[in-house]
Amino acid sequence: MKRVLITILAVMMVIFLFDSCKKKVETEPVEKVEKVEETTTKIEKPKLTEEELLLQKSLDQINKEGHLKKINFDFDKYTIREDMKGILHNNADWLLKHKTIGISIDGHCDERGTVEYNMALGEKRAEAAKKYLVSLGITEDRIKIVSYGKTNPVVKGVDEKTHFMNRRDEFVIIKK
Amino acid sequence: MKKIKILFTIYLLLILTGSKGIYSQEEIKIKITEGIPLITVALPQFDYSGESQIDDKTKNEIYDTLWNDLKYSRVFKLIPKEHYTYLPRQEGSRIVFKDWASIQAKVLIKAVIDVSPENRILFSIKVYDIDGGKLVFGRNFGGKKEFLRLISHRAADEMMKHFGEKPIFTSKIVYVSNRDKNKEIYIMDYDGKRPRRITYNNYIDLMPSWSVDKEKILYTSYKKGSPDLFQFNLYSGRNEVISSGGVNYRADWALDENKVVYTSSKRDKNAEIYVRFMDSGKEKRLTYNHIIDSSPCWSPNGNEIAFTSQRGGTPQIYVMNSDGTNVRRVTYEGTYHDNPAWSPDGSRIAYVSRIEGRFDIYLLNIKNNSISKLTENSGRNENPTWSPDSRHIIFSSNRSGFYQLYSMDYDGSNLKKLTYRGENKMPKWQKFK
Repeated sequence: MKRVLITILAVMMVIFLFDSCKKKVETEPVEKVEKVEETTTKIEKPKLTEEELLLQKSLDQINKEGHLKKINFDFDKYTIREDMKGILHNNADWLLKHKTIGISIDGHCDERGTVEYNMALGEKRAEAAKKYLVSLGITEDRIKIVSYGKTNPVVKGVDEKTHFMNRRDEFVIIKK
Repeated sequence: MKKIKILFTIYLLLILTGSKGIYSQEEIKIKITEGIPLITVALPQFDYSGESQIDDKTKNEIYDTLWNDLKYSRVFKLIPKEHYTYLPRQEGSRIVFKDWASIQAKVLIKAVIDVSPENRILFSIKVYDIDGGKLVFGRNFGGKKEFLRLISHRAADEMMKHFGEKPIFTSKIVYVSNRDKNKEIYIMDYDGKRPRRITYNNYIDLMPSWSVDKEKILYTSYKKGSPDLFQFNLYSGRNEVISSGGVNYRADWALDENKVVYTSSKRDKNAEIYVRFMDSGKEKRLTYNHIIDSSPCWSPNGNEIAFTSQRGGTPQIYVMNSDGTNVRRVTYEGTYHDNPAWSPDGSRIAYVSRIEGRFDIYLLNIKNNSISKLTENSGRNENPTWSPDSRHIIFSSNRSGFYQLYSMDYDGSNLKKLTYRGENKMPKWQKFK
């Protein structure tokens, strides 16, 4: 038992001695300042490209934003009107910028043709716009065409303004 | 049949005397209302037997349906009901033929309705030749109460058959309606009653057409995103794509062979005419060009096809042989014709012509090349379809502000509105030999 007590006392003395030594060091004045810093650069949330932003949206949202404008046709005709070519150029530019987008060109007619003839005419109108876009560099595999004949008028009415609005190609985004 | 020939001769004479030459096309308005030797029929109120009560509604519906069928037929002429009251009261079941002869009746229809305790209707008709004073034929029809209209139509069909005419009264019309919001396919009786919805595609369904066996309906649906040609089987419920790619529409089944003619742009994105042999699935393309060919229909013998083509600059009606050869133009006046429908007797082609923005229905008489106009000053009139006996045409018209189906006779008379709910278009009458 005595031996144990002596050992404990001895250890405590050693600790005491050590402690007093340390204190002496710390009381000396600090002259040198160590520089502390992190060297890696700050990482920020990256900005999405216009294309990536677009791809985050649903097809419905993209279509609602109206990137692609409709074109209209003359009565009983399926040739592209001169004043509609600008719209097709704008549509083509947008499609060239957004290369993943696939579209459906939906051809529509006014009510003054028969159901049967308009079914064929609507397709001719869609096909005419497709050919024009292809000539501007859009690849064919990005374009589907669908004729709706006169089944889906955009407005109801009997005057020429109404008929003109109904004789149209709509450009619907179906793939992003 | 003899009477029909007489009628037809009158019609021909009227046309011939009115036209300048056999090959000139002229518009002639004719109206045949009197002087046609129709078979005069007396249809007195029916007798009722049996234990159970027959309500007035049931009684009237059976009677009125038969009356309206015979009136519609243009084969029979009904003696007005008030004339029957001039007759002395007939005792028991004995028929005094000379009394009926006194009101100009040639044929007498006597009928008895019986309703069983299980609510089944038994309808018995006896048809008498008044001049000969004898029974011509008798028939009994039985069925559930819900089919009472059909029972009357069957009785009317028997009348037609007995007098050598086609039984048209149980034939049906297939058409497009948006009454349940979407454009879907429906069928109804020839008189517009008992409509029934057939498709539930929830997309746009258009231009339906019957198979000759009456079991299948060909139609165009956007179910898969594009206008494909579908075949729907009314009995198995099977709904399958027959033709796809581009537009596929307006199928017409041939009467004699299991083949269909239709419009498709599947090969080169331009509407062309195809014939499909339904048993083998083999197809034959009949037109090759860069302009629109559409709206084909068979001649009744299946040897020729009438169709619309823009090859002359504007849409006109053409006829070609069933192999695509011997194409000849049959309409010349006007700048917009479509919807050819060949009459089942082969004598006429009904079609639609657009003049100054109006659509009207015209008839081309093939034998003498004359034209008659059937509708006038009443909206847009489209999609004529013939009754199996070539006496009536059902078509769609927006004369009421909305598209509805109407019936008229081949001379433009007896106009009758058939549909009221939603908008109804593109009718096609069943066809049979």
